[in-house]
Amino acid sequence: MEIKTTQLRRCDLIALSGRFDSSAAPALDQALRASLDRGMFHIVVDMSGVEYFGSAAIRALVIAFKECRRWNRGDVRLAALPEKIRQVFDIAGITPLIKLYDDTVTAVGNF
Amino acid sequence: MSSELELCVASELRNLAAIADFVSEAAARAGLDDTQVFEVQMAADEACTNSMEHAYEGREDGRVQVCCFVEDNVFVVRVTDFGKPFEPETVPVPDITLPLEDRSVGGLGLFLMRRLVDEVQFSRDSTGGNQVTLRKRRRMGHT
Repeated sequence: MEIKTTQLRRCDLIALSGRFDSSAAPALDQALRASLDRGMFHIVVDMSGVEYFGSAAIRALVIAFKECRRWNRGDVRLAALPEKIRQVFDIAGITPLIKLYDDTVTAVGNF
Repeated sequence: MSSELELCVASELRNLAAIADFVSEAAARAGLDDTQVFEVQMAADEACTNSMEHAYEGREDGRVQVCCFVEDNVFVVRVTDFGKPFEPETVPVPDITLPLEDRSVGGLGLFLMRRLVDEVQFSRDSTGGNQVTLRKRRRMGHT
Protein backbone atom coordinates (compact mmCIF):
# COMPACT_ATOMS: atom_id res chain seq x y z
CA MET A 1 0.00 0.00 0.00
CA GLU A 2 1.34 3.43 -0.89
CA ILE A 3 -0.01 6.94 -0.42
CA LYS A 4 1.58 9.99 -1.98
CA THR A 5 0.27 13.52 -1.52
CA THR A 6 1.25 16.27 -3.94
CA GLN A 7 0.25 19.83 -3.15
CA LEU A 8 -0.91 21.57 -6.30
CA ARG A 9 -2.03 25.16 -6.66
CA ARG A 10 -5.74 24.41 -6.73
CA CYS A 11 -5.94 21.17 -4.81
CA ASP A 12 -4.13 18.29 -3.17
CA LEU A 13 -3.56 15.22 -5.28
CA ILE A 14 -3.45 12.03 -3.25
CA ALA A 15 -2.26 9.02 -5.25
CA LEU A 16 -3.12 5.60 -3.84
CA SER A 17 -1.74 2.26 -4.88
CA GLY A 18 -2.02 -1.27 -3.62
CA ARG A 19 -4.33 -2.84 -1.11
CA PHE A 20 -6.52 -0.76 1.21
CA ASP A 21 -7.95 -3.16 3.75
CA SER A 22 -8.60 -2.34 7.42
CA SER A 23 -4.89 -2.35 8.21
CA ALA A 24 -4.28 0.38 5.61
CA ALA A 25 -7.38 2.50 6.28
CA PRO A 26 -5.86 4.48 9.19
CA ALA A 27 -3.02 5.67 6.92
CA LEU A 28 -5.56 6.79 4.32
CA ASP A 29 -7.55 8.57 7.00
CA GLN A 30 -4.37 10.32 8.16
CA ALA A 31 -3.40 11.43 4.66
CA LEU A 32 -6.85 12.90 4.02
CA ARG A 33 -6.87 14.54 7.43
CA ALA A 34 -3.45 16.10 6.80
CA SER A 35 -4.92 17.97 3.81
CA LEU A 36 -8.01 19.05 5.76
CA ASP A 37 -5.87 20.21 8.69
CA ARG A 38 -3.93 22.48 6.33
CA GLY A 39 -7.24 24.00 5.28
CA MET A 40 -7.20 22.29 1.89
CA PHE A 41 -10.71 21.11 1.09
CA HIS A 42 -10.19 20.47 -2.62
CA ILE A 43 -8.80 16.98 -2.97
CA VAL A 44 -8.34 14.67 -5.94
CA VAL A 45 -7.70 11.02 -5.11
CA ASP A 46 -5.93 9.11 -7.87
CA MET A 47 -7.35 5.60 -7.58
CA SER A 48 -5.59 4.13 -10.63
CA GLY A 49 -3.20 1.93 -8.64
CA VAL A 50 -5.76 0.63 -6.14
CA GLU A 51 -6.11 -3.16 -6.07
CA TYR A 52 -8.52 -3.42 -3.18
CA PHE A 53 -10.65 -0.98 -1.19
CA GLY A 54 -12.49 -2.39 1.84
CA SER A 55 -15.27 -0.92 3.98
CA ALA A 56 -12.83 0.76 6.38
CA ALA A 57 -11.18 2.62 3.48
CA ILE A 58 -14.61 3.57 2.13
CA ARG A 59 -15.47 4.95 5.56
CA ALA A 60 -12.29 7.07 5.61
CA LEU A 61 -13.23 8.47 2.20
CA VAL A 62 -16.85 9.19 3.18
CA ILE A 63 -15.68 11.08 6.27
CA ALA A 64 -13.40 13.22 4.07
CA PHE A 65 -16.27 13.84 1.60
CA LYS A 66 -18.45 15.09 4.42
CA GLU A 67 -15.69 17.31 5.83
CA CYS A 68 -14.86 18.86 2.47
CA ARG A 69 -18.45 19.50 1.45
CA ARG A 70 -19.39 21.17 4.71
CA TRP A 71 -20.40 24.80 4.06
CA ASN A 72 -19.77 24.16 0.37
CA ARG A 73 -16.09 24.73 0.96
CA GLY A 74 -14.81 21.98 -1.32
CA ASP A 75 -15.02 18.40 -2.49
CA VAL A 76 -13.13 15.14 -2.86
CA ARG A 77 -13.05 13.90 -6.43
CA LEU A 78 -11.88 10.52 -7.65
CA ALA A 79 -9.79 9.90 -10.75
CA ALA A 80 -9.22 6.65 -12.65
CA LEU A 81 -11.35 4.39 -10.49
CA PRO A 82 -10.62 0.75 -11.47
CA GLU A 83 -13.72 -1.14 -12.63
CA LYS A 84 -13.79 -3.72 -9.83
CA ILE A 85 -13.47 -1.00 -7.18
CA ARG A 86 -16.22 0.93 -8.93
CA GLN A 87 -18.49 -2.10 -8.61
CA VAL A 88 -17.91 -2.10 -4.86
CA PHE A 89 -18.76 1.62 -4.75
CA ASP A 90 -21.93 0.83 -6.73
CA ILE A 91 -22.97 -1.78 -4.16
CA ALA A 92 -22.24 0.65 -1.33
CA GLY A 93 -24.41 3.24 -3.10
CA ILE A 94 -21.62 5.79 -3.29
CA THR A 95 -21.07 6.15 -7.04
CA PRO A 96 -24.05 8.49 -7.70
CA LEU A 97 -22.90 10.84 -4.95
CA ILE A 98 -19.33 11.48 -6.04
CA LYS A 99 -17.64 13.07 -9.01
CA LEU A 100 -15.57 10.61 -10.98
CA TYR A 101 -13.05 11.53 -13.66
CA ASP A 102 -11.23 9.35 -16.17
CA ASP A 103 -7.84 10.74 -15.25
CA THR A 104 -6.14 13.03 -12.73
CA VAL A 105 -5.49 15.84 -15.23
CA THR A 106 -9.22 16.24 -15.91
CA ALA A 107 -10.09 15.91 -12.22
CA VAL A 108 -7.57 18.56 -11.17
CA GLY A 109 -8.53 20.83 -14.09
CA ASN A 110 -12.18 20.78 -13.03
CA PHE A 111 -11.55 22.35 -9.65
CA MET B 1 -10.47 -28.78 -5.38
CA SER B 2 -11.54 -31.84 -3.44
CA SER B 3 -10.09 -31.22 0.00
CA GLU B 4 -10.37 -28.55 2.61
CA LEU B 5 -7.74 -25.81 2.84
CA GLU B 6 -7.13 -24.10 6.14
CA LEU B 7 -5.21 -21.04 7.28
CA CYS B 8 -4.84 -20.02 10.91
CA VAL B 9 -3.44 -16.58 11.75
CA ALA B 10 -3.13 -14.24 14.73
CA SER B 11 -5.82 -11.55 14.99
CA GLU B 12 -3.59 -8.81 13.61
CA LEU B 13 -4.96 -6.59 10.86
CA ARG B 14 -1.70 -6.90 8.94
CA ASN B 15 -2.57 -10.58 8.36
CA LEU B 16 -5.56 -9.58 6.21
CA ALA B 17 -3.37 -9.51 3.10
CA ALA B 18 -2.26 -13.13 3.64
CA ILE B 19 -5.89 -14.14 4.18
CA ALA B 20 -6.89 -12.40 0.93
CA ASP B 21 -4.16 -14.25 -0.99
CA PHE B 22 -5.17 -17.56 0.57
CA VAL B 23 -8.90 -17.16 -0.21
CA SER B 24 -8.23 -15.83 -3.73
CA GLU B 25 -6.02 -18.79 -4.56
CA ALA B 26 -8.48 -21.34 -3.16
CA ALA B 27 -11.38 -19.68 -5.03
CA ALA B 28 -9.46 -19.63 -8.32
CA ARG B 29 -8.52 -23.29 -7.87
CA ALA B 30 -12.18 -24.07 -7.22
CA GLY B 31 -12.99 -22.63 -10.64
CA LEU B 32 -14.52 -19.27 -9.75
CA ASP B 33 -14.01 -16.56 -12.37
CA ASP B 34 -11.99 -13.41 -11.66
CA THR B 35 -14.98 -11.32 -10.62
CA GLN B 36 -16.23 -14.02 -8.27
CA VAL B 37 -12.74 -14.47 -6.81
CA PHE B 38 -12.59 -10.74 -6.07
CA GLU B 39 -16.07 -10.75 -4.50
CA VAL B 40 -15.51 -13.76 -2.27
CA GLN B 41 -12.08 -12.54 -1.06
CA MET B 42 -13.66 -9.17 -0.25
CA ALA B 43 -16.46 -10.83 1.76
CA ALA B 44 -13.82 -12.92 3.59
CA ASP B 45 -11.74 -9.79 4.25
CA GLU B 46 -14.73 -8.05 5.82
CA ALA B 47 -15.59 -11.15 7.90
CA CYS B 48 -12.00 -11.41 9.22
CA THR B 49 -11.91 -7.66 9.90
CA ASN B 50 -15.05 -8.09 12.03
CA SER B 51 -13.38 -10.91 13.97
CA MET B 52 -10.26 -8.87 14.63
CA GLU B 53 -11.88 -5.53 15.37
CA HIS B 54 -15.09 -6.60 17.11
CA ALA B 55 -14.83 -10.19 18.42
CA TYR B 56 -11.25 -9.62 19.67
CA GLU B 57 -11.80 -5.86 20.09
CA GLY B 58 -8.44 -5.11 18.50
CA ARG B 59 -6.48 -7.61 20.64
CA GLU B 60 -3.78 -9.21 18.51
CA ASP B 61 -3.31 -12.47 20.43
CA GLY B 62 -6.50 -14.14 19.22
CA ARG B 63 -6.77 -16.79 16.53
CA VAL B 64 -8.63 -16.45 13.26
CA GLN B 65 -9.20 -19.62 11.27
CA VAL B 66 -10.11 -19.49 7.62
CA CYS B 67 -11.26 -22.66 5.95
CA CYS B 68 -12.10 -23.05 2.23
CA PHE B 69 -13.83 -25.98 0.55
CA VAL B 70 -16.29 -26.85 -2.19
CA GLU B 71 -19.71 -28.29 -1.41
CA ASP B 72 -21.75 -29.40 -4.42
CA ASN B 73 -21.30 -26.45 -6.75
CA VAL B 74 -20.68 -23.92 -4.04
CA PHE B 75 -17.38 -22.44 -2.85
CA VAL B 76 -17.47 -22.10 0.92
CA VAL B 77 -15.31 -19.91 3.18
CA ARG B 78 -15.70 -20.43 6.91
CA VAL B 79 -14.16 -17.90 9.28
CA THR B 80 -13.90 -18.88 12.95
CA ASP B 81 -12.74 -16.78 15.88
CA PHE B 82 -12.84 -17.30 19.63
CA GLY B 83 -13.61 -13.76 20.71
CA LYS B 84 -16.74 -12.32 22.22
CA PRO B 85 -20.02 -13.47 20.66
CA PHE B 86 -20.99 -11.63 17.52
CA GLU B 87 -24.62 -10.60 17.17
CA PRO B 88 -25.23 -9.58 13.56
CA GLU B 89 -28.77 -8.42 14.36
CA THR B 90 -27.31 -5.59 16.50
CA VAL B 91 -25.36 -4.14 13.56
CA PRO B 92 -27.20 -1.24 11.90
CA VAL B 93 -28.02 -1.69 8.22
CA PRO B 94 -26.73 1.36 6.32
CA ASP B 95 -29.27 3.29 4.26
CA ILE B 96 -27.48 3.62 0.94
CA THR B 97 -30.19 5.89 -0.48
CA LEU B 98 -29.30 8.76 1.86
CA PRO B 99 -27.24 11.70 0.64
CA LEU B 100 -23.56 11.40 1.54
CA GLU B 101 -23.82 14.07 4.22
CA ASP B 102 -26.38 11.99 6.13
CA ARG B 103 -24.71 8.60 5.79
CA SER B 104 -23.74 6.84 8.96
CA VAL B 105 -20.38 5.13 8.64
CA GLY B 106 -21.14 1.88 10.49
CA GLY B 107 -22.42 -1.48 9.29
CA LEU B 108 -20.96 -1.21 5.80
CA GLY B 109 -18.72 -4.29 6.11
CA LEU B 110 -21.61 -6.61 6.94
CA PHE B 111 -23.77 -5.00 4.26
CA LEU B 112 -21.09 -5.56 1.61
CA MET B 113 -20.55 -9.18 2.73
CA ARG B 114 -24.22 -9.96 2.22
CA ARG B 115 -24.17 -8.42 -1.24
CA LEU B 116 -20.93 -10.03 -2.43
CA VAL B 117 -21.76 -13.68 -1.79
CA ASP B 118 -24.92 -15.77 -2.17
CA GLU B 119 -25.27 -16.65 1.49
CA VAL B 120 -23.86 -15.43 4.81
CA GLN B 121 -24.53 -17.51 7.89
CA PHE B 122 -23.56 -16.75 11.50
CA SER B 123 -23.30 -19.38 14.20
CA ARG B 124 -21.54 -20.32 17.44
CA ASP B 125 -19.61 -23.57 17.12
CA SER B 126 -19.39 -26.28 19.82
CA THR B 127 -16.09 -24.93 21.18
CA GLY B 128 -17.59 -21.49 21.71
CA GLY B 129 -16.21 -19.81 18.62
CA ASN B 130 -17.98 -17.42 16.26
CA GLN B 131 -18.41 -18.87 12.81
CA VAL B 132 -19.23 -16.96 9.67
CA THR B 133 -19.92 -19.12 6.65
CA LEU B 134 -19.83 -17.49 3.22
CA ARG B 135 -21.23 -19.38 0.23
CA LYS B 136 -20.58 -18.43 -3.36
CA ARG B 137 -22.15 -20.44 -6.17
CA ARG B 138 -19.81 -21.29 -9.02
CA ARG B 139 -20.83 -19.69 -12.29
CA MET B 140 -20.77 -22.25 -15.07
CA GLY B 141 -19.58 -21.64 -18.62
CA HIS B 142 -19.00 -18.16 -19.99
CA THR B 143 -19.86 -15.11 -17.94
